[in-house]
Amino acid sequence: IMLKELIFGQFISGVKPQHLSSVVLHRSKRMVLDSIGVGLLGSTTDVFELALQHCQHMYAPDDISSVYGRRGTKLSPTLAAFVNGVAAHSMDFDDTWHPATHPSGAVLPALLALSERMPGNKPSGLDFLLAFNVGIEIQGRLMRFSNEARNIPKKFHPPSVVGTMGSAAACACLLSLNASQCSHALAIAASLSGAPMANAATQSKPLHIGNASRLGLEAAQLASRGLEASPLVLDAVTGVAGFSAFYEDYMPQPLTSPNGETHTFLLEEQDMGFKRFPAHLGMHWVADAAAAVHKFIVGIESNTVSPAQIQDIMLRVPHSKYINRPFPESEHQARHSFQFNACTALLDGEVTVESFSPAALRRPELLSLLSRVSVEHPHDNPANFDRMYGEVEVTLVGGDVLKGRCDTFYGHWRNPLTNESLRKKFRNNAGVVLPPENVEGLIEAVEGLDELEDCTPLLSQLQ
Amino acid sequence: MMLDTLGVGLIGTTTAVFNKAVQYSQCYKSEEKSSVWGKSSLTLPPPYAAFVNGIAVHSMDFDDTWHPATHPSGAVLPALLALAEAMPSQPSGLDLLLAFNVGLEVQGRLLRFSREACDIPKRFHPPSVVGVMGSAAASAKLLGLSPTQCTHALAIAASSAGAPLANTTTQTKPLHIGNAARRGLEAAQLAQMGLEGNPGILDMDCGFGVFYSDYNPTEMTQPSTSGFRWTLEDQGIAVKRFPAHLGMHWVVDAALAARAKLEGRVGNFDPSQIREVTLRVPPSKYINCPFPATEHQARHSFQFNACSALLDNNMMVGSFSEDQIGRPALKELLAKVKVESPEDNHPSFDKMYCEVAIETQQGQSYAARCDTFYGHWRKPLSHEDLLEKFRANASTVLSSEGVEGTIDAIGDLERNRDCASLGSYLKKTVQLNE
Repeated sequence: IMLKELIFGQFISGVKPQHLSSVVLHRSKRMVLDSIGVGLLGSTTDVFELALQHCQHMYAPDDISSVYGRRGTKLSPTLAAFVNGVAAHSMDFDDTWHPATHPSGAVLPALLALSERMPGNKPSGLDFLLAFNVGIEIQGRLMRFSNEARNIPKKFHPPSVVGTMGSAAACACLLSLNASQCSHALAIAASLSGAPMANAATQSKPLHIGNASRLGLEAAQLASRGLEASPLVLDAVTGVAGFSAFYEDYMPQPLTSPNGETHTFLLEEQDMGFKRFPAHLGMHWVADAAAAVHKFIVGIESNTVSPAQIQDIMLRVPHSKYINRPFPESEHQARHSFQFNACTALLDGEVTVESFSPAALRRPELLSLLSRVSVEHPHDNPANFDRMYGEVEVTLVGGDVLKGRCDTFYGHWRNPLTNESLRKKFRNNAGVVLPPENVEGLIEAVEGLDELEDCTPLLSQLQ
Repeated sequence: MMLDTLGVGLIGTTTAVFNKAVQYSQCYKSEEKSSVWGKSSLTLPPPYAAFVNGIAVHSMDFDDTWHPATHPSGAVLPALLALAEAMPSQPSGLDLLLAFNVGLEVQGRLLRFSREACDIPKRFHPPSVVGVMGSAAASAKLLGLSPTQCTHALAIAASSAGAPLANTTTQTKPLHIGNAARRGLEAAQLAQMGLEGNPGILDMDCGFGVFYSDYNPTEMTQPSTSGFRWTLEDQGIAVKRFPAHLGMHWVVDAALAARAKLEGRVGNFDPSQIREVTLRVPPSKYINCPFPATEHQARHSFQFNACSALLDNNMMVGSFSEDQIGRPALKELLAKVKVESPEDNHPSFDKMYCEVAIETQQGQSYAARCDTFYGHWRKPLSHEDLLEKFRANASTVLSSEGVEGTIDAIGDLERNRDCASLGSYLKKTVQLNE
């Protein structure tokens, strides 16, 4: 019986560009574009600024890897991976998969940073995409080693668990490490994984992704220098926990190695969810449900929705403590509040980037609606991004009851954003920090990435 | 504890893992520079100095051990010394001592939030769980952060805690301490810049509680109140006599005693006369390794340590070299070992024992039991023996001026105006060592 870690190592070192199907290429390019866009917008946040200043204060300038959206600012590769990863997750605007994690933010910053450092010729676009998909695939495979991973997490924040592993795998692939080194990279990364959920609705959350990216890159670099770790990390050894430390129900399964045959990437079978506004994925269901009610009121009753019309609001949502916040006090909490997002969508018909500004958080109309919300957790509504729903039931002052329900929000993998919607989101995000030529240049570079002989067009337009 | 930690760190700078870490870390530069121990002119950015020095401390499993189980000093001292060097005005020796004790105290308190922490670990390696918190606390103290910032430093550090046990019998294990030191320091610096985490991190099951299945946090008395006692006052530290997992110290003392009994009766010790060796040890998978192939495995093998002690009548730094591990005589003896885990042998450094029973070809039996090895907190090393360990370790890289200077600097620490002199002694190397 082969050790899982060795099998994973063989996969990472043995997989080739021809194993990427057209579906996987298409989907992964969408992820790359979206991730860069949210990262660029994220470079305007306080937490990003703090992380960047920290790196610039603690370390000397090292003109290697680009920082998103900051012309002329470069850092040492792991530090660039760190701040760009923080940017990607700073507003909770990045992609989400099933089982739950935010896969791209942990992988892309590390690969971009590493590519800029590689001496001589930069990797081709196809090599880059291959490494990216390896990083995503490893995350997906690892999450399938646990049933509990399918539900909204309670213990460890998934990007901090599988994201670090994905980054290590992707970097090991880009560095063309051999199978043994790839295995050790994963094992070294396991000792750098795992952050608790409690920091999830705080300013520290983005660092989970920043650190996943940085530490995964570090693990791959240490492995390339010959550092060795346990070969047993991915197997379940009673009495000596490896990766199993992060799950109560760890059951590892084998991964087939593509020796000339085809390999089906998980991304082919399970598409990615993209967010339309910067908040926890769960918010998208209640937002769409509340928006439907808003539309009805505006269509029938009046031109706007005001608290004076509303008697009370009932939300039917899955039970998940960290996204159930009746009166959020910070933007981070607001992004993790069913109540806040439902009320915002009820008032405005949508939730946008601006909905989380300090002024928006304190709107009297919003606060007044918040005090009328109650929450129920129906038994048939599991805390699971594949099966949950959101219902918003509004009782108007006159006595009428309006109900909106959303089973699948627009952007979910079952109802994916069109390419046009995705590009629009990218333009809105990237346009905040980059000149239009760079914005369009990036769209072009990503869409043609698999044909670029050298990924420099991607790397050079990030600032 | 500080002296012992510096000594094991200095000898640790001769290891392969330390060198890999230094090579890796040299790609980072900063204006603030902190010393790498045992290297006369090498400096690194403070977090990376903490990283490599922490790795050195744990590189040979030679560092101190506490109860409940962790290696407290290696996570804290490297961070503090690195930070002290980089601060605009050097802290006094007393400031350093206070911050160090804060780092230990926080670890001790956190370990008491779980009963499972009292036993030899199975899931997360304790230094990676509480060590980073201790480093964050100590660093926050030395930086003079406000109470709120200190709270956030701990919360930020929690998101850097937790490495699984599986890597503990490998070359990566020392990075658990190196990273604890580095990331705790980083957490304090980020808190100083205003980064915030969850102030309830220690109260929540989904906070620090994720690392334990029986998390039960309790209140902490403030030092200003009369009821306050430092954990270190009531619970001492174990200092190792040779570089191996703490559990090995019991089995070695028992093996040496059993061999003495046999020699006392028979007159000499001849391994070929041994038919079987039975070890009665607590149940713990990661230190039960019948045929270790690497030095890391050998340091975590009841069987190897018992046999090595029997053959050599001693255990030393050199006992774990590749040659020693590969000795035919050792392998032959290893093949005769049987391991039992009696029910009354609890896997806890406070309660465990080891028995070694030698049965000869003639059918004679010589057995001995060790309840408390010399160096354990119940039977601490004498001051002379502690100094002897330090001198033996430190002199592998420092000149005698550096060795004696460090001893004096630590001995007098609370009276030192600033701890810069300590740093300078750690760089007074033997000429050949660069």
